[in-house]
Amino acid sequence: MRGMCVALGVLVACLCCPGSSTAQQDLDALLEQSFKQAAALLNPSIVQIQTVGGLDRVAGVVTGTGPTTGVVVSEDGFIVSSAFNFAAKPASILVNLPDGRRLPARLVANDHAAKITLLKVEAENLIPAKAAPREAFRVGQWSLALGRTYTNAFPSVSVGIISALDRAWGRAVQTDAKVSPVNYGGPLATIEGKVYGILVPLSPRGQTETAGVEWYDSGIGFAIPLVDIYRVLDRLKQGENLKPGLLGINFEGRDQFGPATIGMVRPTSPAAEAGLKKGDRITMIDNAPIARKSHVRYALGRKYAGDMIRLQARRSDQEISVQLKLTDKLLDYQSPYLGLLPEREETAEAPVAEGVVVRYVFPESPAAQAGLMKRDRITAIAGKPVTDSAALMRAMVGMAPDDKVSLSFVRQGQVQPLELTLGALPDRIPGELPTVSIPPVDRADAKAADPKIGRFTVELPAHQHSYWAYVPPDYNPNFQYGLMVWLHPTGDTMEAAIMRLWKSVCERRNLMIIAPKAGNPRGWNPAESVFVKAAVEDFVKQYPIDRSRIFAHGYATGGAFALSLLFKERELFAGAAVASATLRTAPPPNTPDYRIQLHFNSGSADADHARVARTVEGLRKMKYPVSFGIAKDRSKKYPSQEDVREIGRWADSLDRI
Amino acid sequence: MNTVRNHSCGSRRRWLVVLVALAACGPTTQAALAASPAIESALPRIVKIFGAGGIRNLYSYSTGFLVSAEGHVATVWSHVLDADSVAVVLNDGRRFEATVLGAEPQLDLAVIKLQTDAKDFPFFDLKQAVEVGPGTRILGFSNMFKVATGDEPVSVLHGVVAARTKLTTRRGAFETAYQGTVYVVDAITNNPGAGGGIVTTRTGQLVGMIGKELQNAQSNTWINYAIPIDELQETVGEIITGRFKRREDKPQPESTIANYRPLDFGLVMVPDVLFRTPAFIDSVVGSSDAHKAGLRANDLVMFANDELVQSCRSLKRELGRLEAGDTLRLIVRRDNQLVSVELEVPRKLKP
Repeated sequence: MRGMCVALGVLVACLCCPGSSTAQQDLDALLEQSFKQAAALLNPSIVQIQTVGGLDRVAGVVTGTGPTTGVVVSEDGFIVSSAFNFAAKPASILVNLPDGRRLPARLVANDHAAKITLLKVEAENLIPAKAAPREAFRVGQWSLALGRTYTNAFPSVSVGIISALDRAWGRAVQTDAKVSPVNYGGPLATIEGKVYGILVPLSPRGQTETAGVEWYDSGIGFAIPLVDIYRVLDRLKQGENLKPGLLGINFEGRDQFGPATIGMVRPTSPAAEAGLKKGDRITMIDNAPIARKSHVRYALGRKYAGDMIRLQARRSDQEISVQLKLTDKLLDYQSPYLGLLPEREETAEAPVAEGVVVRYVFPESPAAQAGLMKRDRITAIAGKPVTDSAALMRAMVGMAPDDKVSLSFVRQGQVQPLELTLGALPDRIPGELPTVSIPPVDRADAKAADPKIGRFTVELPAHQHSYWAYVPPDYNPNFQYGLMVWLHPTGDTMEAAIMRLWKSVCERRNLMIIAPKAGNPRGWNPAESVFVKAAVEDFVKQYPIDRSRIFAHGYATGGAFALSLLFKERELFAGAAVASATLRTAPPPNTPDYRIQLHFNSGSADADHARVARTVEGLRKMKYPVSFGIAKDRSKKYPSQEDVREIGRWADSLDRI
Repeated sequence: MNTVRNHSCGSRRRWLVVLVALAACGPTTQAALAASPAIESALPRIVKIFGAGGIRNLYSYSTGFLVSAEGHVATVWSHVLDADSVAVVLNDGRRFEATVLGAEPQLDLAVIKLQTDAKDFPFFDLKQAVEVGPGTRILGFSNMFKVATGDEPVSVLHGVVAARTKLTTRRGAFETAYQGTVYVVDAITNNPGAGGGIVTTRTGQLVGMIGKELQNAQSNTWINYAIPIDELQETVGEIITGRFKRREDKPQPESTIANYRPLDFGLVMVPDVLFRTPAFIDSVVGSSDAHKAGLRANDLVMFANDELVQSCRSLKRELGRLEAGDTLRLIVRRDNQLVSVELEVPRKLKP
């Protein structure tokens, strides 16, 4: 410490005489000295961790087997590390202390919100790392990412600055020091040798332990503040697994910047028990004023299940204040269902009248039982006027199966009221489904500048990838089409087979296809979701696509990728139809914020059939609407023409209400 | 900055203020100015090399650095040099043909000679190279991605030394001919065409030669590293003076015949069903050496002769290497204890 003080003294002296290059040189030298001293100061608190056995793939990412890093947090042998280092569920964990001792370690508990794991070794007189106080965090400060994977002699060092505070809803700080499996679990240190936080892979979107690994060494790295970990250390020490704290509300509308008005209170949730109601506008959580939805996420970002919060809200003219205890689990949400298909109108024409014109009523559905008919025009639900089908869907967010609602509809010029009991999205695909006939457009005199038609290939240079696409040659730009995103299995784009089976279905069901190609013949890499998304956005800009009918379709490994893509990009995809594919990671809970629909197809003689069936069962238990087509006696093969027609009917009813 | 000028040595808090001020600057224009004499002196000694490649994703360019006044250039040994002669472009735009004078694949090193009689090239004196430790600020110079076109100078990166380590500390982690010490750096130095570039300290002292692109098979991440000059210096000198003889060829790949198996010590391991089946002992043969040494069923073998045993397979690999007369040191985990035993490797007839 003394050395550092002296160094800093000289450093200050240097700052007094800027302009001279020798002074700058000295300053650089002193700065370098400070990096080394900070690492040396923290050295005794940084341990190397080795693991034995375990999975070789986690969430599709090949896991490393090299040593990893941990940080001592108590004299008696508690050590924290990144949960990434234990994602492979190792059979045994060893800790190498800087003094050369090698000790077996026990996994004590996980913080699932921060992706931190607590270990324990039997040792005494260890030197715990000192946490830098949160008030001292500033963007622009030097930060050192330290690891202990190369040698046990001295920590590895990468230098950067703090790039941002309060990332991931307040849970992490961001740095441009190089963060990778080489130092995950290690400390992000201040230039004084205190610890900002523990380095972890993190993705604002992903939920698994490996999410964010694709950003390794990119200059985008994250650390979980050590002060926050110390705050919950006693709970972790007692073996309590910490989970994110949930309130049990969904907001009205998706705009993050909008006011925090409750759109739905989930049954039996803490919010429901505290008496919060739809329409309440949250104004304060603990001492943080809430002006918009994102503020609520920040206020809850560092809270855990079991934490108490005080919440204030405005209900018409009245200010209400409640105290509630956050939970780790909500009852699964199930989307409500009327049982109709809305008319798909010509986009160029102004709508004839406000409301949703019924194109088709599903037999035996709530709508059919209540006597709703084709060509009826729904104008209001639960007293709220409805302008179009998107508005009707929005109004139904927050309603649940078995809820009773009132509708107003117009039949032959007469406004009529209707009471009905909502159902749940059915998990069967009807054998017949009417089609929408779109007047074809003759393109005999198409110009080069017109959007391409038929089957063609597009290069996306920014992503070093390409995709092929199929656009019906006579498509009508005044009508909207569904979009199938075909994700091929490992090593085979199946272009010819897909065209053979899907061309007629595309024409009948008004679909277009785009088919991104994996960059590597060994199969899809989770990071390629970025490219697939870019390909879809590129396509949607040029063709009339109905965003509520974009779905991912894949077979075998392509199907598994389609599922992971769907749950990662719920803004983009309305559903996925997969064949011979299973889920590799637990999906997020079903939420009213996104309406997801799924279809599975499998042959009963397929070796994976039982696993597919289990995936379907699991998703249904989570209240996702899942239909399941079983091809009798089929082994591992792409679906037959008949099954493809069924998938076509599923895709053509993605806009069912 | 006024708070700084008034610098009566005071409380620790004052240092903090200074540090924050410093930190806020980050790598500023001032820092860049301080390094510029180092960069100005290094750039004329670095060359761009254009040779074979250009098909099937093989790039046809790399980097080199002058090591003599007569135009000897040290560079990385790669497919780019796989041509009768290669083109070398100096920092000032002069272009020379060059031929390979000698190469040491085990060091990933080659020396090429410019086809000229000139004797006034600026060069790096390899004897002046320095050894540095983690945290040392460095500059990286290379023709990465061929960003520098025509007579443009090569690209300069900055970072720190992350570690000085051996690429082979973890067996099988890297597929590389070079097996010695490297500097791992936190700048993204190792890109296509960067091999043969250099890493210097921020004051311009030579530290190492940037190596080929290399992926760490254990973490599936790309690594950025340079080979220390002290590892190369002797060989470069020998190639230039013509005294160079290639070292023994690489050791033959390990024999696929396993010399010993767990059963030779009286150990029956659990069935090896997974890619990473942990090396649990299923049972111990009565009266065997393992039995006498106190090993038991359900012990988990963690180390064999100080190598981490990650699976049944890696235990078999370790035992396969043993020779009669060796000692086998095993560390096993039993409940929450590590137990160490030594076993004599028995004599036996090889198959």
